[in-house]
Amino acid sequence: MSVITSTPRISSATAARVEGVTKLYGSGDAAVVALDDVSVGLGQGHFTAIMGPSGSGKSTLLHVLAGLDRPSSGEVFLGDTEITGLGDKRLTMLRRDRIGFIFQSFNLLPTMTAAENIVLPLRIAGRKPDPDWVDSIVATVGLSGRLSHRPAELSGGQQQRVAAARALASRPDIVFADEPTGALDSTSGAELLGFLRTAVTDLGQTVVMVTHDPTAASYADRVIFLADGRVVDEMHAATADEVLDHMKHLGA
Amino acid sequence: MLTATFRSVVAHKLRFLLTAASIALGVALLAGTLILTNTMGLAFEQLFGKIGSGTDAVVRTEAPYSATEGVGTTRGPIKASVLDRVSQVDGVRAAEGSVSGYALLTDNDGHAITTNGGAPTNGYSMPADEDLRGDVELLSGSAPTNAHEVAIDATSAEKNDIALGSTIDVLLQESTRPFTVVGTVGYGDGVKDLGGTTSAYFDTATAQKVLGNPGTFDSIDVSAEPGVSQTELASRLSAVLPQGTEAVTGATVAQENADATKANFSIVGIVFGAFAGIALFVGSFIIWNTFTMTVSQRSREIALLRAIGARRRQVMTSLLVEALVLGVAASAIGLGLGLAVAKGLKALMDAVGLALPFTALQVPASAIWLSFLVGTVVTVVASLVPARRATKVLPVEALRESTPGAEKPSRRRALLGVAVLGAGAGGMLANLYGGASFKVFGLGLLATMVGVMLALPSVVRPLASVVAAPLRMRGMAGELARQNATRNPRRTSATAAALMIGLTLVVSMGVFASSLKASFSDVISDDVNADLFVVTSSAQAPGFSPAVLGAVDGVAGVDKVSPSGWGEARFDGHGSSFSSVDPATASQIMGIDVSRGSAADLGKDGIVVAESAAKKHGWQVGDTITADFAASGEHNLHVVGLYDGKGWIGDDYVLSIAEQNAFAGPQLVSAAFLTLEPGADQAQVQDAVTAALGDHPDAKVVDQAGFEKEASGFIDQLLTFVTVMLLLAVVIALLGIVNTLALSVFERTRELGLLRAVGMTRGQVRAMVRWESAVIALIGAVSGAALGIGIGLALSQALKDEGIKAISIPVLQVTMYVVLAAAAGVVAAIGPARSAAKVDVLQAVTTE
Repeated sequence: MSVITSTPRISSATAARVEGVTKLYGSGDAAVVALDDVSVGLGQGHFTAIMGPSGSGKSTLLHVLAGLDRPSSGEVFLGDTEITGLGDKRLTMLRRDRIGFIFQSFNLLPTMTAAENIVLPLRIAGRKPDPDWVDSIVATVGLSGRLSHRPAELSGGQQQRVAAARALASRPDIVFADEPTGALDSTSGAELLGFLRTAVTDLGQTVVMVTHDPTAASYADRVIFLADGRVVDEMHAATADEVLDHMKHLGA
Repeated sequence: MLTATFRSVVAHKLRFLLTAASIALGVALLAGTLILTNTMGLAFEQLFGKIGSGTDAVVRTEAPYSATEGVGTTRGPIKASVLDRVSQVDGVRAAEGSVSGYALLTDNDGHAITTNGGAPTNGYSMPADEDLRGDVELLSGSAPTNAHEVAIDATSAEKNDIALGSTIDVLLQESTRPFTVVGTVGYGDGVKDLGGTTSAYFDTATAQKVLGNPGTFDSIDVSAEPGVSQTELASRLSAVLPQGTEAVTGATVAQENADATKANFSIVGIVFGAFAGIALFVGSFIIWNTFTMTVSQRSREIALLRAIGARRRQVMTSLLVEALVLGVAASAIGLGLGLAVAKGLKALMDAVGLALPFTALQVPASAIWLSFLVGTVVTVVASLVPARRATKVLPVEALRESTPGAEKPSRRRALLGVAVLGAGAGGMLANLYGGASFKVFGLGLLATMVGVMLALPSVVRPLASVVAAPLRMRGMAGELARQNATRNPRRTSATAAALMIGLTLVVSMGVFASSLKASFSDVISDDVNADLFVVTSSAQAPGFSPAVLGAVDGVAGVDKVSPSGWGEARFDGHGSSFSSVDPATASQIMGIDVSRGSAADLGKDGIVVAESAAKKHGWQVGDTITADFAASGEHNLHVVGLYDGKGWIGDDYVLSIAEQNAFAGPQLVSAAFLTLEPGADQAQVQDAVTAALGDHPDAKVVDQAGFEKEASGFIDQLLTFVTVMLLLAVVIALLGIVNTLALSVFERTRELGLLRAVGMTRGQVRAMVRWESAVIALIGAVSGAALGIGIGLALSQALKDEGIKAISIPVLQVTMYVVLAAAAGVVAAIGPARSAAKVDVLQAVTTE
C-alpha cells in the first residue's frame, strides 16, 4: 500500500492521513482557502506537531483530521477508515471510541469531578473503564490527590492535565490536541507536554498537536509546517531553537 | 441605553416570545373573564330589564326584605281586587295583573325541554295591552286568549320543531296540562329566548290558575296616559293603595333588577378573576426567572456597559424598559386572545352544565385598560429584583472569563422558608383544632405555600435524586440530566414552582372533591334509609312538581314517600337556607338524628334546629324564634326539636313542607325518598315507578347507586371546571420550562459542543435535555402533589361542620397528574432539545 506523504521518512503505519484535502470557507469571490490540496500522513506511535502562522490552516487541518470539520474536497482516513463520507452519527461514535481530544480551554464539564470527566467518553459509550489503565494515566499526569475536585477547584494546568487524561482514558487510536498549552503558564505547559511525551514514548500512544509555540513543538518527534493552507516543510526531533530559526526562515 | 434595550429584545426573539406568551396567557384569562362577565351581565339585563320597558309603574306588596328564593315569588301576592282600584286612577291608560311561575315545556314526543344548567323554565301571563308587553313580541301566530292556548319562546319552538297549532304538554306546579301552541315569542333585536331560559305565555286568567296564583297577582303593571310621568303616576297610585301595597316607577323596578343581577353575578366574576390571578401569578414567576437568567447571562455585556460609563440607574432603567415593552406587547396579545378565551370559558361552562345567559360578546373598556395595566405592572414588578441584581454587576466582570456561575441556595432563605411554612401549618392547625377562625386557616394556607416556595431551592438536590432515580438506567444522558437540573437550584426551583402552584391547586381540589363525594356516599349508605330516590330528570333543574308525589305514592310496592325541599328565610334576623321535610317520615327515612324533641311535632308553627345553631343562639326546645319570609313576612315558630346535624339534612333549620307552602308559597320538590313494602322486589318497583312517571318528564327514579352518581356527577362537573381553569396555569408553567431550558441550552453551548466532540450523539444530547426537563417537571409535580394532598386534607377537615365527614385521596388521579406532568415536561423539551442537538461542535470548542 503506497502512502502519499510529503516526506520520505515515515513509518509504514499511519494513524491518520489526508489526501488532496482542500477546505474553502465562504463562496465565490469571498471564498477563503484554508487548506489547499494538502496530503499528509501521521505516523502511529508518533508525537506530531503542526505549526504555522495564524491563518495558515493548521487548526483546520486538525479539525478535518479529527472529523470535527468536513473538507470541501479530498479524502480523510482514520487508520484505514475513510471518514470523509460518514454521517454525523458514525463520526460521533468514531470520535467517542477512537479519538481523544484536548482543546485550548473549556475541556471539562463544570458539574463533574475530575475523575468523572476523565471517564466521560467511556461512560457516554456505556463502556466500563479499565481501572488499571486509568490509574496509570492518572498517576502519570500526577492528579491522584485531585480526582474528587470539580474543574472550578483546579488550576488551569491541572484542568489541562485532566483533559489529557480524559483524552487517553479510552486508549484512542489518536489524540488531537488543539493549542493545549495556549492558555497555560510555561511551567504548567511544560508539565503537560512532558506528559504527552511520556504517553507516546512509554504508553505507545499517538498524539497530534497544533501549536504556535516552538518550545511546545520541540517535544514532538516531527514538526509539520503549514503556510497559506499548504504543507511547506517539516523537521524531525528538532529543538525549540531550531524550530524558531526555521520559522523565521519561513516567514522571511 | 434605550437602543441597547431594543437591540437586546430583537436579538433574543425567542426568549422574548416565550416570556411574552407566559404573561399573555394570564392576561388573556383576565380579559376573557371581564368580557364574559360583561356579556353575561348584559344577558341578565335583557332577561330582567327588557320585559318591563313599556311599564311606567308597578304595584306590588311591600317586601319585608328583598331576596330571591327558588322559583317562588319573593313578594307576597297582591289581591286581584286591587286591579279595579288601580284602573280607575286618573292618568292610567292600561293596567294588568302579572303572574309568573314554574312551567316546563315538553316537545312533540312529551319529553321535557330542559335548559342548559340551572336556567329556569318559566310561565308568564301575557298582557293584552301591547305596551305592557314591553319587548315581548309575537314573532308568529297570535297571543293566547283562552285556557287551552299557550305561546312559547321562539327558540324552544325552533329547536324542537313545535309547529303552530300543535298540542304539547306543559308541566306546572300542581299538574300537567295539554295546550295548543298559538304563537311564538321573541324579545326584539332578533333575541329568541331570555338568556337560555324557556318561556310559556298564558292569558292572564289561565296564568293565575296554572301558575299557582288563583285570585291574586304577583304585581300589577301600569301604563300611563301620554303626559303623565312615571313619578307622577306612582304617587297618584300610592294614594289609593291599601296598606302593605306600594307603587314604584318602572325605572325603579328596572334598577332593582339590575342591582340584584349584579349581586348574583359578581360571584362568577370573582371566581374567574381568582383563576386569572393564579395564572398571572404563575406567569410572574416565569418573568422573574427569565430576567434573572438574562441578567446572569448578560453580566459581561452589562459589565462592559458599566465599564464604558453607564451608571447603575441606566442599567436598571434599560432592563425595566425591556420589561415594560414586554408587558405591553404581552398584554396586547393577551387581550386579543381574551376574546377566544371568553368563548372558550362559555363553552366550558356549558360543557359542565353551568350555563348562564349569553349574548354577542361585549368588550368593555375596563377589559382593555385593566388588561394592559395588570399585564404591564405584573411584568415590571416581576423584573424588579433581577434588574436590581443587574446593577450590582461590577465593571471589572467584563474582563473576567467566566461562565455564569450557579448560585448556591441561600441558607437564610431556606430557614425563612421553613419558619413561614411552620407558621402556616400552625395557623391551619389552630383553625382545625384550636378554634381559630377560618381566616386564620386561609392565611395559614397561603403561608404554607409561600414557605414551600422559599425552601424549595434547598430541597431541589435531594428531590432530584429521588425523582431522577429511574434515570440511572439511562446511562450518561440521564446522569447529566440530573446534574444539570440541580446545578442551579434557584433556577430549577423557580421553574418548578410555577408548575407546583398549578398542581397544588388541582390536587387539593381533587382531594377535596373526592372527600366530598365519599362523605356523600357515607351519608346515603349509612344514614338514609330509603330504597329508591325520585330526582329531577336534569341534574341542575330546581326541582319537580309536587304532582309527581301523588303519581309515585299509588305505585304497588311503595310504602312511604318522603319529599324534601329547600328555601331561604331569616331566622331571628340571620339569613339562612332551610330544608323542608315531611314530618311523619323524615326522621326515619332521612336519618335526621333528633336528640331532643321530635320532627313529627313540626305541625303548623314548629321548627327543628341543628344543635350547633341552637347552641350559638342559646335556643332550647320550647323557645320561640322569629322566621322572616320574603313572601309573607314574619312568623313565630316554636323550636320542637334539636338534631345533631348529621344525616341527609345539611341546613341548620328544618321546616315542614306544609309550613314552607304556607309561608313562602307553593314550592317544587327537590327530591323524594321512597321505602318499599316488606317483600317487595326493588327492581320491579323501580320499573313500576318509572312507568308511573311516564306523564312526569321532570322527574325520574334511581336506586342508591344512581342517587350517589347524580350527586357526585355534579361534583365531578365542578371539579372538571376547576381543573380545566387551573390547567391554564399548568400550561403557563410548561412554557416556563421551555423558556428555562432554552436559556440553559444557550448558556451551555460550549459544554454541549464539548460533549458532542468527545462522542455524545445528537440523540443522547436530545435525551439529556428531555430528561432534565422531566426532572424539573417532576420536582414541581411531586412537591405540588404532596402540598396539594396536605392542603386538600386540611380543607376537608376544616369544612367538617359543613358535612365533609369522610377523607379520601384520589390516588389514581394524583398519580396520573404527576405522570402527565413529567410527560408534559418531555414535550416542553422538544424545542430546546432540538437546538441543543444542533449545536455547532467546531464553533463551540474553538470559541476562545
